[in-house]
Amino acid sequence: MQKWIVYNLVNNAYESSTGPIDDPASTANVIGCAGVTASNGGENDDREVKMATTRMATIPRRHARRDFLKKSASVAAVAAFGTARKAFAAEPVNIGGLYPVTGSFAQIGQGCVNAAKLAVQMVNDAGGIKSLGGAPLNLIVSDVQSDTTVTRTETDRLISGYKLSAIHGCFASALTLIASEVAERAKMPLLTGSSSDQLNKDRHYTFTPFCRASQFALAQLQMSKLVSDAPKVAVIFENTAFGTSTSNGLREQAPGQGVEIVMFEPYSAGLTDASPLINKVKASGANMLFPVSYLNDLILIIRAIKQNSLQIAINGGSGGFVIPDFYKNVGAVAEGLLGVAHWNHDVNADAQKVNAVYKQQHGEFLFEYAGGLVAQTFMIADALERAASVDPQKVRDALSTLDVSSGYAAMGPGGRVKFGPDGKNIYAHPVGVQWQHADLAAVFPKEDARAPIVKA
Amino acid sequence: MLTTVAQAVVNGLLIGGIYALVSIGVTLIFGVVKIVNFAQGEFVMIGMYISYFLASSFGIDPLVSLIVVMPALFVIGVLLQHLLIRRVLALGDMPQIFLTFALSLLVVNVALLLFTANYRTVQAPYSETAIHLGAINLPVAKLIAFVVAMTLSAVLWVFLHATDLGKAMRAAAQNRDVAMLMGINPDRVFSVAVGVALALAGAAGALLMPFYPAYPLVGQVFVLMAFVAVVLGTLGNVTGALIASLMMGVAESLGIQFVGADSGLIVVFVMLLLTLALRPSGLFGGRSR
Repeated sequence: MQKWIVYNLVNNAYESSTGPIDDPASTANVIGCAGVTASNGGENDDREVKMATTRMATIPRRHARRDFLKKSASVAAVAAFGTARKAFAAEPVNIGGLYPVTGSFAQIGQGCVNAAKLAVQMVNDAGGIKSLGGAPLNLIVSDVQSDTTVTRTETDRLISGYKLSAIHGCFASALTLIASEVAERAKMPLLTGSSSDQLNKDRHYTFTPFCRASQFALAQLQMSKLVSDAPKVAVIFENTAFGTSTSNGLREQAPGQGVEIVMFEPYSAGLTDASPLINKVKASGANMLFPVSYLNDLILIIRAIKQNSLQIAINGGSGGFVIPDFYKNVGAVAEGLLGVAHWNHDVNADAQKVNAVYKQQHGEFLFEYAGGLVAQTFMIADALERAASVDPQKVRDALSTLDVSSGYAAMGPGGRVKFGPDGKNIYAHPVGVQWQHADLAAVFPKEDARAPIVKA
Repeated sequence: MLTTVAQAVVNGLLIGGIYALVSIGVTLIFGVVKIVNFAQGEFVMIGMYISYFLASSFGIDPLVSLIVVMPALFVIGVLLQHLLIRRVLALGDMPQIFLTFALSLLVVNVALLLFTANYRTVQAPYSETAIHLGAINLPVAKLIAFVVAMTLSAVLWVFLHATDLGKAMRAAAQNRDVAMLMGINPDRVFSVAVGVALALAGAAGALLMPFYPAYPLVGQVFVLMAFVAVVLGTLGNVTGALIASLMMGVAESLGIQFVGADSGLIVVFVMLLLTLALRPSGLFGGRSR
């Protein structure tokens, strides 16, 4: 494994020294990552991220690469000296991306990396950072493997190993909390779409441009009144941090919204069968269900509801509920189901434009987290532009005074980004979404709605 | 109220049928070969993926795929016995535990590499439909799974009691040394036992596919319940494992209904503890049936 890492660093140095970065494959370099790759097979073989898989799979490929490098080095060197200099006079600006490309969040993490690469390409195609002489962004992706320990070491390694100006990541709140701690100590600005309210406590280098977990609950409750005059809600939630914190938010805010909670039930994630749980929901007399669940349990729950012929409106919240994979797994049964998100691909014209490009490249719509991080990349570019420096401290200061209300940086619900002292975007709010015709449509609140809400 | 209880019992029995297929496999291997197969859940997973790929690539219904999955897993079982298990039989408990445990890790990780951690589901025409018996719902996919599971268990029972090979297996289970003295070829008997056990695990996988998502770690969801059922139903006792599995399904379902959705398993484990305290050799203690 040691050899592999060295190889990768060399490869990376080689790429950044040649300068011109016009093909999307070379704008991202993945470092690190030994062990099992959970995402590298089958349908996604076209992704260009370079990763070590298992030792077994790596060895032949490594040799193949080495041979290839040997043969092509001389050609590349000639090409580099011949043409590189004039494309970009300035040194590229390194920004880090921390995403789980392997492990249980691999599917979403890979989508994030694809979006991050697209965003960097968009910034570079538009002429890079002008105040730095047109310097291109260079994205360095690190695989945090859906694991908190790995996240800590990888964040450390990324920050100490490269001259970075800013970082974004890591999708799962549990991972982002760790990365944010490490970045805070290293005084490295971190942008994230993760929704945990904890990310806004005692942090000076973490910026959250999108709505917070506590805001999701309120939106879910308000939406329930759009589909029923007298919502009687059953909340079923997986009994770890994610489920309990989200469900407590719902329970605390329900009375204020005039929503009655008739069932409030924790369950252990990894159900063998959802029927007993749904039988219990049926007995509670609820007309609206809020499952706070991971994708595998959610599939079982949605199917059990159909199997038990239960007529009930469902708001599945965010996360695994608002990604293309959910529809792929559940099929037409997903039609009409409600959810909430911090971003949706139809909220404004810029978002729709990026979505069209992403869809063309990857065959599915740009999902919540991935779309949000395209906007984040443009926020970093905006800060770099104003800071006119690659110094992370100056970038952090420029982020703290960011105020954009147009362009790709502002393409979220609310349409404006300006951070408060806690790093929270004061204009952020969630968007209510509904599965309609195999796509996710914004239906709530009124100013963001792009399609009318369909009542079940 | 009565409907709710009846529905809970029905739900429990239906999932209990799946537990039974997994636990019968474990108990069969333990009874005959005297080895605990920690990788049994992984063979459920393999069955699910074979069934999934047959469905997604060739449009074959998961139930029809049983005729491919079961023979395929039987062959894997025979090879497993012949190439791996046979070599550790004389070595005592530890190498045997390490062998099947390592096999489990290996299969899971190879599956992660090949199939990714993504969930994969099959939409069968009957995936979301149900038969209504009065106020009771019988989900079609689970009902079919239950009926097939019970049929396979019955076929196995007949095989064990009415055929020479089956009797030889039971003889080997009761006393391996005496069985060998009576001219029973242990290699052949063991191979068939492991093959049949894996075929049952594969069948469980194919039967799950219309209503359960496949992913590399899916086997571990079911293998835990299977081990509890095997201990409850007396190690090595096929009928015991079947009855214990159904009981556990019902106990879990009633537990979720009346104790709490995160306590369903607690009811099952209390059952296990009480059984171990009062009847240490399991509910069907001592006798192998």
